[in-house]
Amino acid sequence: MDSKLFPEGTQRCSFGQYLIWMAALTGIFLWGLYAAVLVLYNGIGTTGLDNYFGFGAWITFDLAVIALGAGAFFTGLLKYILKIKQLEKIINLTVVVGFCCYAGAMLVLVLDVGQPTRAWFGYWHPNVHSMLTEVIFCITCYLTVLIIEFVPLILEQKQLNKIPFIHALAHNMHINMALFAGIGAFLSTFHQGSLGGMYGVLIGRPFAFREGFFIWPWTFFLFVLSAVGSGPVFTVLIATLMEKITGKKLVDFKTKALMGKIAGSMLCVYMFFKILDTWAWANGYLPSVGLTFDDMFYGFIYGKWLMWTEIVLCGVVPAIMLVTPSIRNRPGLLYTAAILDCIGVSLNRYIFTVQTIAFPAMPFDSWQKYYPNWVEYATSIMIIAFGFIVLSLAYRYLPLFPQERKLNYQSGE
Amino acid sequence: MQVKEFKIKWGMVIDIDKCTGCGACMVGCQVENNIAPMTKKDPYNYVQALTWDRDDAANKLKVLTWLTVYELSNGAAFPNHETAYLPRPCMQCGNPACVPVCPVVATEKNEEGGIVSQIYPRCIGCRYCMAACPYHARYFNWWDPIWPEGMDKGLSPSVSVRPRGVVEKCNFCHSRYLDAKNKARQDGGDPMNLPDGAYNTACADICPTKAITFGDLNNPEHKVHELAKSKNAFRLLEKLGLAPQVYYMSEREWVRKQGDNYNADGGDHGAPSNSHG
Amino acid sequence: MSVARRAFIQMSVGATVGILFTPTVWTALDDVSIWTQNWPWIPKLTYGEAKSLPTVSKMCESGCAVKVRTVAGQAFGTEGNTDNLLSGGGICPLCANGVQVMNSPSRIKAPMLNGKEISWDDAKALVSEKLAAAGSNVAVISGDQTGTVNEVFSGLLVNQGSDAFYSMPSDLQKADKAWTDLMGGSGQIGYDMENADVVLLAGADALESWGPTVANKKAFASNENGTFIFAGPVQTRTASVTSKWVPVPAEGMAAFVLGITYYVLQAGKSVPAADFDQFKAMVMRGYTPAKVEAATGVKADVMAEIAKQLLSADSPVVVPGGSVAANTAAFALNLLLGGAMKVLPEFGKAVETAMTRSEMLKQDILKGVSADVLLVYEANPFYVLPEKIKAGFTVAFDSVNTETTAAADLVLPTPHSYERYDDLASPYGVAVATYSLGTPVSKPTLNVMNAADFVLGLTDLGFESFQEVLEAKVAAVGADIDELAEGSAYVLEESADVSGVTLAANVLGKAAIPVKGNGAVALAPYTLLNVGTANQATTPNAPSTISNNQLIGDNLVVMMASVTAKKLGVDVGSKVKLSGGNGECEALVQVFEGVLPGVVAAPLGMGHTVGDEFSKGKGDNVYKILTVSSEAAAGASTWAGSTVNVAKI
Repeated sequence: MDSKLFPEGTQRCSFGQYLIWMAALTGIFLWGLYAAVLVLYNGIGTTGLDNYFGFGAWITFDLAVIALGAGAFFTGLLKYILKIKQLEKIINLTVVVGFCCYAGAMLVLVLDVGQPTRAWFGYWHPNVHSMLTEVIFCITCYLTVLIIEFVPLILEQKQLNKIPFIHALAHNMHINMALFAGIGAFLSTFHQGSLGGMYGVLIGRPFAFREGFFIWPWTFFLFVLSAVGSGPVFTVLIATLMEKITGKKLVDFKTKALMGKIAGSMLCVYMFFKILDTWAWANGYLPSVGLTFDDMFYGFIYGKWLMWTEIVLCGVVPAIMLVTPSIRNRPGLLYTAAILDCIGVSLNRYIFTVQTIAFPAMPFDSWQKYYPNWVEYATSIMIIAFGFIVLSLAYRYLPLFPQERKLNYQSGE
Repeated sequence: MQVKEFKIKWGMVIDIDKCTGCGACMVGCQVENNIAPMTKKDPYNYVQALTWDRDDAANKLKVLTWLTVYELSNGAAFPNHETAYLPRPCMQCGNPACVPVCPVVATEKNEEGGIVSQIYPRCIGCRYCMAACPYHARYFNWWDPIWPEGMDKGLSPSVSVRPRGVVEKCNFCHSRYLDAKNKARQDGGDPMNLPDGAYNTACADICPTKAITFGDLNNPEHKVHELAKSKNAFRLLEKLGLAPQVYYMSEREWVRKQGDNYNADGGDHGAPSNSHG
Repeated sequence: MSVARRAFIQMSVGATVGILFTPTVWTALDDVSIWTQNWPWIPKLTYGEAKSLPTVSKMCESGCAVKVRTVAGQAFGTEGNTDNLLSGGGICPLCANGVQVMNSPSRIKAPMLNGKEISWDDAKALVSEKLAAAGSNVAVISGDQTGTVNEVFSGLLVNQGSDAFYSMPSDLQKADKAWTDLMGGSGQIGYDMENADVVLLAGADALESWGPTVANKKAFASNENGTFIFAGPVQTRTASVTSKWVPVPAEGMAAFVLGITYYVLQAGKSVPAADFDQFKAMVMRGYTPAKVEAATGVKADVMAEIAKQLLSADSPVVVPGGSVAANTAAFALNLLLGGAMKVLPEFGKAVETAMTRSEMLKQDILKGVSADVLLVYEANPFYVLPEKIKAGFTVAFDSVNTETTAAADLVLPTPHSYERYDDLASPYGVAVATYSLGTPVSKPTLNVMNAADFVLGLTDLGFESFQEVLEAKVAAVGADIDELAEGSAYVLEESADVSGVTLAANVLGKAAIPVKGNGAVALAPYTLLNVGTANQATTPNAPSTISNNQLIGDNLVVMMASVTAKKLGVDVGSKVKLSGGNGECEALVQVFEGVLPGVVAAPLGMGHTVGDEFSKGKGDNVYKILTVSSEAAAGASTWAGSTVNVAKI
């Protein structure tokens, strides 16, 4: 029915099947939207957030998807600036995934700030000393860049592209894409960093506070490294998931392994510094304010196991797996390492968000527990549903995977 | 970061040995600053009526009180147990953790007197300042402020009512500072050298045991100037370097020790088992 | 058509710059910035002339001397009255919320007969008719301890030929019972805590809920060198600031005081009372430290140490709380020590036929009230002891809805303290006789009438209005009405006669023996003003001050030491059912090491079934599980010695 719209030389599932799939996704999205309306209409009191946990599931979700969406800027950087040609096979997907992650983060932020209609005050009354100002600048600018990177892909849609003006426009945008990739890389680096900086500057929060270089605390650099150490393999996981769902080969394994290698190398660098940083924090900074490493943890939900899981199981282990060619080149192990890597970076963002503010700095205060309620889950799942919807549309109608035709219909695989 | 110094430094010295935790200061503060009582129902909101109730004041994690009285325990079992009460206003830190993090300059430490301001119409409600403040002195308007029918008539004229979705905190009853300065100008006095007591906060005024003393820490003619230097005086979490303008004092060593962390120095810090309210 | 790269960039930049040159963006931003600050549901503030007007507030038991802050004639806040010795600038958490209660939607808006609005004239006719029919079978329950309004009510009773004037259970009543009935004294006991050098608070939670709390706190604060010691089963807020907490079971308080008296007598102290020798023999024989230790668990050396402190002090005072026996023992000890206990004379009456304060305290409400017509004035007996009240026709005078107004046949709305004339004479515990006057500082907005004015319309007491009664009262007191209206208190530095006072030796010997119920654990009920009193529920802004040691969500919290919890097999957060008296309470357990082992501490004042959203359904009503027992020897009823059984649910 809509086959004329499909990318050149490809086949897609029946329209009816597609409709059922999209209806299911829309259903989930609407459930989240209901929760979002409750938040916007009744107030943020609707959520599980409270005076002790002003930041919670939403901020964790934001930081995690932004870190995982880092595949876009980093792959763009490598492809357009460092000219690693092979990455063009996956670059379109990284852009779409990046767009979904950033647009989703923006949507969550609209819910998370108490006065969303004042969000633009970040530009109107900027506080240049605040890491969050840097985040607001970079995240909005970078989302614009991602849209600009996404637009040519849309314009290259088979039917649209027949229109000469659009063809020319897409062509022109393509020519300038290196410029945008460069701007994007710059913006995204800074804002991945400033998200980390947000926690590192908290002088009142011993769990997160870090010394640093110039105005940037060490967490600034650690967040950049952890993002580039996980973003590329997240794109690989998305591509693989799409392959499982569609039953087609979309990206050759060689490209996936290359992404794994890139992420793995960055993850190794990250882990080196992360372990160094944790050691210095535990043995240098904490004693200086009268605290010990043990003080930072409490009970099960704030236990040390979280940090060990993050650093060892989901940090060192995938790093070794990804830099070892014999492991990386076996699909099952590559994907396992990628999953561990993504869990690790998400866990890192969770710990920095929640444990930081859960630690009772005042000795007479007590640890409080934070449980997100369904409203926070629903709105977060809404964002995931939104991502799925965008990807489903993009996959069906846009030339997302340059290799698709070759891998599925030509080589006779 | 450096501690920001002013010629005038408004501060408090709270004598924990006098505080009985009665709560009059907290009530006085709410009345002075137009803090709405917390109600489960929102009669003006149909969507609210369709879903679940709002939080009332029994939920200590969502309650909005600029001033909170913490209960301290020495952690000992009966009969050696001791208890104390610690009222916690905003510390008006000399090196505030909250001010530099605000993305929209909705909170500043700029005015003579050293009071950390909060500009409600500018606050976007991101709550980054709340995450930054280790004293939990900042509060978010989780719900619309609602005065039960008729109670909105009796509002203090000097403090604007904040909408839902912004952060607020103690500002040492700042409008009283403006009033005191105006009065000094009218009476031919020096607004930059107010006599002790000319400017006092609502909590200090109402306290039946006079546990809270307020004044200019830099002015030798103000009582707080000497009190803050007493050997029993301490500030909360001094090691973090936030330089609060609120001091506490107690003759009890265990109370003083709970003002900061001493674990890494071999100090014991008891087993805190405290609720607050 | 082809678009060159340069043309593309030019077009993009041109479009952007072009839009920025139009006013659209800036106007839109400006609009949004204005629009986002103005929500229609945010209340607008009233501006105008600001005033601070003195009056009295009757929300707490002793009453507070306050100043009400108004703007453009509209009251908005309450502050202390530095000119009045009852305040000194401070106020209690209940009265601090006075204006909010005055403006509360739970105010009673008009006279109501069985739920239907009626006119004041009809109400008057109805009550007149009922009174005429009842004859002398009329009773009054008053929640006011200090007001001349009681003279008007008692005048009505006298005219009806009744003496059934009941006050709500109070420390004042127990002290009066001990002092006037058992010891033969006159006047009212006071304690000069400001000038005492050693203050033993024997069960009196003086810095939180006992007596004139605010004046006590003021005395505590200004008494820099005095030593305060608190004795009681719970480490109360008072105990958090005293130099020492001596854990003493409530029912053992009298024995504990006599145990101290033992040492004081041993040191040779005496008093010219008729029964001194008998008293001395009784104490030296029956209340030796060893015996007291065995009966109360308080170590002999602890009592010896306190006795030493009291004996070496220039002006010591023992302040009792709890049973009549404890009061009697403390008064006897104070007489022996000759310290800072004062005996205040009663001010002259305005209504000639009215009862004296002491006469008004004679009836024991815990034994039950039964009458054809019952008038309840700003008291909540249907919350505190509903099963004790039997009346054919109940008239409730109150300003807000309570369990009692809900149970009453006729409800007559009174003006709030800030809207009416009222007075405050010597609240129990103050060191000197004081008189303060309250004048209206806010215009009544509801169809209300001062209860005394209503009563004056029913019976002839020689006054047209309550204002006239108060003028007569001020004249009888000997004060200047203008000075009183400006907020200062009249102070009478006189002492009542104490000659002829005995030590009640014959009664005390038996009355001081600890008697406990047979439940599993002792119940230590305690009052926190922010939680509310017997007559006044918590106020709109006070719930945020109520800690998780009293209330979690809608659940009552009871506290006990870890050993007690272990013995009962419960832990922090366990849900338990407490049963005792005539009822049951549900509560969550909190472990607090400041509770005597074997004792459960529970806050009074919660679990209202009628009232506003701030008190209704919050926690459970601990009055239900109190056991009324007879202090046989002293001829009084008491809640002391209540025990409960605790079952985990």
